[in-house]
Amino acid sequence: MNRKSKIGVAYLFTLPSFLLTIVFAVYPIIWAMRYMFFDYKGYGKPVFAGLNNFTRLFRDDLYWNSVLNTFIYAGGKLLLTIPLSLVLAVILNRALKGRQILRAIYFLPTIFSASVMAVVFYVIFNSYNGVLNKMLLKLHLVASPVDWLGTKYAMLTVIVIASWGALGNYMLMFLAGLQGISNDLYESASLDGAGEWHKFRFITIPMLGPVMQMIVMLAITVSLKGYESIMVLTEGGPIGKTEVMYLYVYRLFFPVSTSSSLEQDFGYGSAVGFVTAVIVGIVTGLYFLMSRRMSKIY
Amino acid sequence: MSTNHISISQQRSVSINFKKSFSRILLWIFMLLTALLMVYPIIMAILGSFKTNAEINLGDALLPASIQWSNYRDAWEGANFSRFTLNSLFISATTTIGTLLVASLSGYAVDRFRFLGKSLYVFLQSATLFISIGAVVLRPQFDLMLKIGLNQSLLAIILILIAGHAQTFFILIGFYRSIPKDLDEAALIDGCGYFRLFVQIILPLLAPGLGVAGLFVFRGAWNEYIMPLVFTMSTPSLQPLTVGLANLRYGFAGAAQQTNLMLAGACLSILPILIVYIFANRSFMQMSTGAIKG
Repeated sequence: MNRKSKIGVAYLFTLPSFLLTIVFAVYPIIWAMRYMFFDYKGYGKPVFAGLNNFTRLFRDDLYWNSVLNTFIYAGGKLLLTIPLSLVLAVILNRALKGRQILRAIYFLPTIFSASVMAVVFYVIFNSYNGVLNKMLLKLHLVASPVDWLGTKYAMLTVIVIASWGALGNYMLMFLAGLQGISNDLYESASLDGAGEWHKFRFITIPMLGPVMQMIVMLAITVSLKGYESIMVLTEGGPIGKTEVMYLYVYRLFFPVSTSSSLEQDFGYGSAVGFVTAVIVGIVTGLYFLMSRRMSKIY
Repeated sequence: MSTNHISISQQRSVSINFKKSFSRILLWIFMLLTALLMVYPIIMAILGSFKTNAEINLGDALLPASIQWSNYRDAWEGANFSRFTLNSLFISATTTIGTLLVASLSGYAVDRFRFLGKSLYVFLQSATLFISIGAVVLRPQFDLMLKIGLNQSLLAIILILIAGHAQTFFILIGFYRSIPKDLDEAALIDGCGYFRLFVQIILPLLAPGLGVAGLFVFRGAWNEYIMPLVFTMSTPSLQPLTVGLANLRYGFAGAAQQTNLMLAGACLSILPILIVYIFANRSFMQMSTGAIKG
């Protein structure tokens, strides 16, 4: 077959994928980058507004509150999942009876829908008839029902639920990284009389460096973007305590529930979506630079 | 003197053994406790789905007093979950086939051919994985579907899900690398056309990759919530399980929240995936580690 028809086949095979990507992924981004300079509420004619949407954004306390909440949420989730998943992976990496089953159990939560699990967790955490409160009351650990979804604990609850769903994934990735470390290193360290802690500190951690960097980076971006389970569980409430930035973006385009008070605004929403994507980009970029510098010091 | 010495070292080894087995027990308690925390919500949902509403609201036993199959009947018939399940199945199956087709075709072209714009195309695919402006994209997507008259159809949801095939594309590229290129040339020399080559030789060899990726795509479509929510807000008959279930939070048909129905509905979404997972958990996990080994 000649060269020309070969190239024709290549284009033909790529075409469906290319078209779908352009129409449903690229076009919407271009749409947003146009309307973020417009005053457009979904009805009537869009009016060019220059940088008005951006000046509004910088004074929008609700948005910056959601940005702060996102960082608390992502930070909490990272602090909970990364160390715990690393510990689980290190333990499972040893010859241990039943480790295949344990591995499958730890990974189990990652396969279910975040929205469906949010409904299940609602049954567990709600203060009125929640399973958790009943258990705590029965064990006399608390005197009265705790409002797990109230202003005081809602963020913590949301972090715990998100960590439940993510832990197995990171554990498995750490496990894959650990299996790449040669056993000889540990054996020669043992001969030199190194204990478990020293082996972990001076072999496992440095050897795991690049893998760890990738896992943490993935964990950061995923945590900054996630809002599905929050939307179902708390709808960002109470009084905005669990409002995260991508939920705020959603709110500017579609109603979250019948009680949604925020006015839909497509022009402003586009600007907020754009700035939010930039924030995520900056955070991941900063992490990337920092972790690279750190690994050089090592 | 010497006997004394022996007894000390014996004592020492006993204490080391004791310390070792003690830390071993602690380790196991930690592992089992974590495992319990991981499975508890699922077990609670399954067992709870067989309880009466009063039992869930007032009681605190883990096991149901008597098995209430009626929860599933009420959810299935009364709360429209037969419709939701059917929608979910249709969306997930069609999305899986479509995604695998689109991604395997472009994956083949990218792995085997050199053409102008190839690196731009690959860049575009990886960019869609990393850049997210959130729900903003749903608005133009929705308007687009309105324009071509698909806003009242499951096809809108399926098309958008297939459009998000970048991850599948990269997974399949990995599998393509292990299929020898000599095979293509031999078949082409024998006068086989590209389409026959692709369908009869390449796709069967890609089967393991298609299986793993297919599982991944099916699960993703089955679990999708926000996009179908937006597209079916005004058409409840098109809602998948995830959306129908989340709506139960606001009570059903004017009645107050029925937790037993919520749990039965949740199990309709959880159980099919759980059953597949029990038999194919290695394939599920292969996806996750694949991301690291890349």
